[in-house]
Amino acid sequence: MALSWTPEGFDPAVLFKAVERASSLGASYAEARLHVNFGYSLSLLNDNLMGGGPSYSGGIAVRVVVDGSLGFASTSKWDERSVIDAVERAVKSARSLAGAARKVSMSEETLGRASYEVKVREKPWEVEFDDKLSRIKEVSKSLEAKGIEITSKVLHYSDSAEYKYLVTSDGSEVESLVPRVEVFYNISARYGGEMANKWGEVGGSGGLEALEKLGLQRRIADDLESLRVALTRARNPPKGVMDVIISPEIVGLALHESIGHPSEADRVLGREAAQAGRSYREYTSGRIGSEIVTVIDDPTIPGSSGFYLYDDEAVPARPRRLIDRGVLAEMLHNRETAAEMGVKSNAAARARDYRSEPIVRMANTYLAPGDYTFDELVESVKEGVYIKTYMEWNIDEWRLTARYVGLEAYIVRNGRLEEPVKNVVLQIPTTEFYSKIDAVGRDLAFYPGMCGKGEPMQPLPVWMGGPHVRLRGVRVG
Amino acid sequence: MSSEDVAGYAERFLDMLSRAFDEVAVYVVRSRSVMVKAARGGISAVQDWDDVDVSVYLVKDRRIYTSTFPLRAAEMLLSRAEDLIARLEPSKLYAPLPEPSGESCSARDPSVEKILDESDYGALASAMGAGSGIDVSGMASVYLEEAALATSKGARLTRSVTGFEGYIRVFKGRDVSGQWSWVSTRLDTSLAKEALDIAIRLAEECSSLPREEPEEGVSRILLSPMTSSQLMEYVASAALAGSVITGTSFLSSAKPGDRVASEGLTLKSTPRDKGLPGYSLFDDEGVATTDVAFIESGMLKTLLHNTKTARILGGKSTGNAGWIFPRLFNLRVEPGDVRAGEELEALGNGVYITNNWYTRFQNYLEGTFSTVPRDAAFIVRSGRPVACVPGYKIRLEGSLRSMVRGVEALGSKLFNIKWWEVDTPTRAPHIVVSEKGGLRVRRA
Repeated sequence: MALSWTPEGFDPAVLFKAVERASSLGASYAEARLHVNFGYSLSLLNDNLMGGGPSYSGGIAVRVVVDGSLGFASTSKWDERSVIDAVERAVKSARSLAGAARKVSMSEETLGRASYEVKVREKPWEVEFDDKLSRIKEVSKSLEAKGIEITSKVLHYSDSAEYKYLVTSDGSEVESLVPRVEVFYNISARYGGEMANKWGEVGGSGGLEALEKLGLQRRIADDLESLRVALTRARNPPKGVMDVIISPEIVGLALHESIGHPSEADRVLGREAAQAGRSYREYTSGRIGSEIVTVIDDPTIPGSSGFYLYDDEAVPARPRRLIDRGVLAEMLHNRETAAEMGVKSNAAARARDYRSEPIVRMANTYLAPGDYTFDELVESVKEGVYIKTYMEWNIDEWRLTARYVGLEAYIVRNGRLEEPVKNVVLQIPTTEFYSKIDAVGRDLAFYPGMCGKGEPMQPLPVWMGGPHVRLRGVRVG
Repeated sequence: MSSEDVAGYAERFLDMLSRAFDEVAVYVVRSRSVMVKAARGGISAVQDWDDVDVSVYLVKDRRIYTSTFPLRAAEMLLSRAEDLIARLEPSKLYAPLPEPSGESCSARDPSVEKILDESDYGALASAMGAGSGIDVSGMASVYLEEAALATSKGARLTRSVTGFEGYIRVFKGRDVSGQWSWVSTRLDTSLAKEALDIAIRLAEECSSLPREEPEEGVSRILLSPMTSSQLMEYVASAALAGSVITGTSFLSSAKPGDRVASEGLTLKSTPRDKGLPGYSLFDDEGVATTDVAFIESGMLKTLLHNTKTARILGGKSTGNAGWIFPRLFNLRVEPGDVRAGEELEALGNGVYITNNWYTRFQNYLEGTFSTVPRDAAFIVRSGRPVACVPGYKIRLEGSLRSMVRGVEALGSKLFNIKWWEVDTPTRAPHIVVSEKGGLRVRRA
């Protein structure tokens, strides 16, 4: 199948030659990946264009296993001599430290031989720059908040198309094209002597039409309203043990941080021990939450930021159940961790660009919806709080206790939403978070994010989501 | 590719682009780097990069176009720049490129280049203690950057810098650990050895002490250089004029001359520090860099500017350009008078945080944040460590605005820090923050 964009002057034969050369030099496994990311970006400050231009990164990544040692090299040149040079550097690097290496092998898998793309209506690379500018400017200009002074408003638009052609020494060949669009924003405002800000993102895979579908204007306007409520109406937050309802935005983030990351098998094996840290799944298994909690990470969701059909080791993608009805289930694997743990890969290998090695990553993590409407979640709460949006969050490296601080939040009293409160702190152990969920909404919403991991850092687009959920009797403040 | 080749490319692109644009700046960087990663005692990956990137800044009728491409694709992509810039709008940030005043510079260590040339990475594995039986994880990296800047205002400048950096985390038991880092333009293996020794010592000291979780609430806190560099990088970022303009700075309402921190705190932007790999005698606009104490003895002296932000907010460029907004090259927290080894005595009673990560802000304009300690955290009484808690069991809450006002004492020894959580090469001491700093300890 011919994709709607392919790089000029690229001949896949060079990837096969790279893999052959690596094998002839003694590599037990080799992969070569042409990886091109290209697109455009622009930044508005207070409705005015600050600057803009194209972005482009393209080159070939080579990864080898030699004497059980993992070597990686890349080149931005596509000619055979440069690619073979990268192969030789990767092999030499791996071999030079084979004596001190953690021994690596790759799991045997049924690998892909495929070509696919995300079909879009408005291809980002075909829409004129001034058209993009006018659309984003229109959104920026439409943002109003009565009663507060917007002191600065930054909107950063970016689109990208990610083209990959992957060949491995065990027979795979996968070509793909995934376009994405995203808007990041940060709004600062003042009311009286008080200042606050709210940032957020809207994005997914697809063409420019996706921004409308994702409700760009509505989402920013909603966040601006959060800011207005927090500044003008919100009082000090409650403290104590109470019921808490949290929004899909916070549910998604909580899942990403407290079950997604700890389920990355490379973390569990210590591969990230000096960077993002370790995982409670090194020593915890079994039940972690209530029966109604099922968490899925699924790369195959159409329109998602983390969309793919084959991972960067050519393994076919599928949904992964991280928590199944309250019980810890699958981890996320690439072929290296799968081999080490004696399981099959579930296609979690992702690389940011040609300079990056594929490592275990999430794609789109969400809580499976339940049966409750929002009103039903609220109506049985006698004393509690509803946290709608957040600013601050963090989690410890073992992923045992997370913290979310609300921006827009409301007291819930006798089954009704009452007065707004601000800076509500929900600091909660992971096991308590999942165990105290007693009701799951039937709504489902996703939020994009750039997930950070790796050394060098590899920010990657993901979605995080879920329905509203209710937690019974947790400590707030 | 040599420095001359890099300069040749910069000149060539400048020639090509000057015909179509009012102002042009071209920055070409060739970087050759190797990173060795260790995990749980063994080498987990060796990564090798060889890149040439071309960054361009183009102006036509006050419209600004910026981008970075690999050399291979630059000519093809730049051929479309004239069409694209016509579709932009004039930028309110625009200011003319300044006359160049910077100088070419070099801080190269042949020992680093030898490692790269010979592809012998044993020294990097050894620096981390990998394969020696220690439960060590970390990263060690060497690199050579050769760069050239050419501008339509006449700048023809080159910069050539080597680097050696890394970080080491040592585990003792399941959750007791120590972590430290180093960074230098030279292959100074004594820095790596010191980092390994400190990481081992912290892990061992923690495991030898009873476990106890600290009292919750405002406390005196001793920030190790790992932690002080991380938090002071946020303070320095707030002093970048771009942060003020985009509403992400707690210093946005402060004026030069205002007291923003305690008298003991002096923060310097130090691009001319030849020992750190951010070293440069010119910024991205070709202006001479200067070592600027932007907070001096607690007073805000200046924001950090390029010509654009200086025009908008008033003042002069401090030689910190970035093409759109200013940036940091290196950072230095001026030392105090607490002698090495006497930091716990200076703390007296409180908590010693040896490392942290995941600092996040509830309100950038107020600087309110929380951060998560990691590795060993010590409870200190009467200047002695009496108990230890793995950092992940506590959190630190506060605001940058208060924290810098509570700086009470600083160590006399500076450590060179750069790691996963600290992007800017930084020389930082231990810092004692008194209760006035408002840092609150909270149990997980």
